[in-house]
Amino acid sequence: MAVKRFDLSGLMQSKVTWAVIAEALILLVCFIIRPDFFSISYQPSTGMLYGSLIDIVNRSAEITIISMGMTLVIALGGTDLSVGALVAVAGAIALKFLRWDVLTYTTPGNYTVYPYILVIAVPLIVCALMGLFNGFLVAKGGIQPIIATLILMVCGRGVAQILTDGKQFTTGYSPFRVIGQGSFLCLPMPIIITIIVVVAVALFTRKTAFGAFVESVGVNPSASRLSGIKAGNVILLVFLITGLLSGIAGLIYSSRIMSNDSNNAGLNFEMDAILAVVIGGTNMAGGRFSLAGTVIGSLIIRTIVTFVYYFGIVAEATMAFKALIIAVVIVLQSEPVRKYFAKRAAMRRAGAKS
Amino acid sequence: MSKKQSLFARLTNPKYIMVYATIGIFLVIYAAGGMLYGDKGFLTVRTFVNLFIDNAYFGISAVGMTMVLITGGIDLSVGAVASLTGMFIAYGTTILHLHPMTCIFAALVMGVGLGLLMGWVIHYLNVPPFITTLTGMFLARGVCSLISRESIDIHHPMFDALASWKIYLMKFADGKWVRIKPIAFVNFNVILFLVMILIGAFILQRTRFGRNIYAIGGNEQSASLMGLPVGRTKVLVYGFNGLCSVLAGISYALYVKSGWNLSLQGGELEVITCAVIGGTLLTGGVGYMIGTLFGVLLKSVIPALITFNGNLLSWWGKIATGLLLLLFICIQRFVVTSTGRRK
Repeated sequence: MAVKRFDLSGLMQSKVTWAVIAEALILLVCFIIRPDFFSISYQPSTGMLYGSLIDIVNRSAEITIISMGMTLVIALGGTDLSVGALVAVAGAIALKFLRWDVLTYTTPGNYTVYPYILVIAVPLIVCALMGLFNGFLVAKGGIQPIIATLILMVCGRGVAQILTDGKQFTTGYSPFRVIGQGSFLCLPMPIIITIIVVVAVALFTRKTAFGAFVESVGVNPSASRLSGIKAGNVILLVFLITGLLSGIAGLIYSSRIMSNDSNNAGLNFEMDAILAVVIGGTNMAGGRFSLAGTVIGSLIIRTIVTFVYYFGIVAEATMAFKALIIAVVIVLQSEPVRKYFAKRAAMRRAGAKS
Repeated sequence: MSKKQSLFARLTNPKYIMVYATIGIFLVIYAAGGMLYGDKGFLTVRTFVNLFIDNAYFGISAVGMTMVLITGGIDLSVGAVASLTGMFIAYGTTILHLHPMTCIFAALVMGVGLGLLMGWVIHYLNVPPFITTLTGMFLARGVCSLISRESIDIHHPMFDALASWKIYLMKFADGKWVRIKPIAFVNFNVILFLVMILIGAFILQRTRFGRNIYAIGGNEQSASLMGLPVGRTKVLVYGFNGLCSVLAGISYALYVKSGWNLSLQGGELEVITCAVIGGTLLTGGVGYMIGTLFGVLLKSVIPALITFNGNLLSWWGKIATGLLLLLFICIQRFVVTSTGRRK
């Protein structure tokens, strides 16, 4: 009979499966400790849904958005260390345009000095250009991505500080507040932006040949060049996208705090984004990538943090806790362990046949 | 042709070109600083020695980092491990009233153990070094915060004695030794830094272990096919880097006389920057301790210049370091392509 059997062993060898299992396990533990963890309530006064799950997705927005670009960079076999610094740059520029000359506009309020379109567009354009700079060093200079992006990581925060004279501006401009704290269709705005970004990147990579180009360049740049793919342009575009997405994340971040914080905005975002991608099952050596896996990876990271806050474990333990869970996921995903599982599955199948 | 090359031929070997570039750019910047701020005392021995005193902990860590980078790996945990060492010493001596040596011993076990473990995971479980050491960094930083959220002062007679121990630089004048003016001194950190550089250079240039490190960085597969102990070497390199991180942590604790869970955040990238502008290639296989020594000096002379200027925001230092990094990467790129073409 030609009934296709559900292939469990193949599923067990997939890295994404482990990520989904890990996320499900963490949520299960949450549910056992406190069943109301999953409750979602509607607040008519703000027109928004509230609940731990909503909060996890909402707070993971920045990392999810950045890691969409990071997935493509890692699929190319590289890493982008500059994203956290770009988040700080985007916030600094946006607040600079909102407040421009702090000596003239002394108190923060519901106003913007420059047109709102500039407040949004200029940070995005600058971040995209900075991404393009990274891409130029990698594609045309032939420099390893990790070093090429180290440059902007080192001096990006310096640029952000100098743009704002080392000061922290605050603003009360309400259209700006909408980006990070507003809502649409009962959902917090960052979730909506995240969904749009994820769908756009997924469509762009999977409905056009671009995703295949990225994977091909990641596996073998010279072979893909010989088969007619312009590897340089693919790299440039991927870094440009990552820069742009960092800019979007930067606007969300600074809109949440209605301020620029060049020291702490986007701190360690590059690390979290890379972790999200790797937990999601994309190999750091480049090649095949999984955007869905990345989204789950980002959710895992945020779920751990929320878990720690929600259950009143000392907030300081978050890092250690995160490290332990990530260590388990990574060890389970590592090649020798997966091979071991594959071997056991094969042996069991052979045993069942005889 | 004699088997032993002449000193001149050895010194003009093109493989040292990056080291010479580092030394050359350091001298240019130092001379420029001398011309601009010579009247404020930029060229005094004191300013020069202070470059070492203020950056010894970066330098000590850079010794281990250089080795890790030569194998083609990377270690992001060094800053967190150094910070954890500081927390061990501070919490142990001030809160638990233990002897500092006990705390340092515990820190050494922790640092070297974590390093060996990470090396093992990297080689035998085939997890990328970036991810493994990033997890190590989160773990060490998390434990730091678990120990204490606040900065803890370190008070212990032996520790204070070691922190304030110094050798004054003397000169011979009028038939007797007198302290040079303005007063300059060398402390324990500086000596530890220089000793570690010498040990690192000895390991890399004069031992079989060192040759293995270069071989693995050049091509891991060939090294393994040649029968070199790739796994053992890699695990030991990460262990040695753990040792350097702990020593850097001790040195930093002596420098600030306290432990803080958020100290040295981002320190790992400063250390990597030192190694890269010292001529170490992140692709592996190339790097020298003398380059790292000047890399540390080059990176530390920029903040010194900004302090002497007095008007610039300290953030310009970050931008200057970034530009320096760009310059060095371009030089490296140029050198690699030009030597590649010669072959």
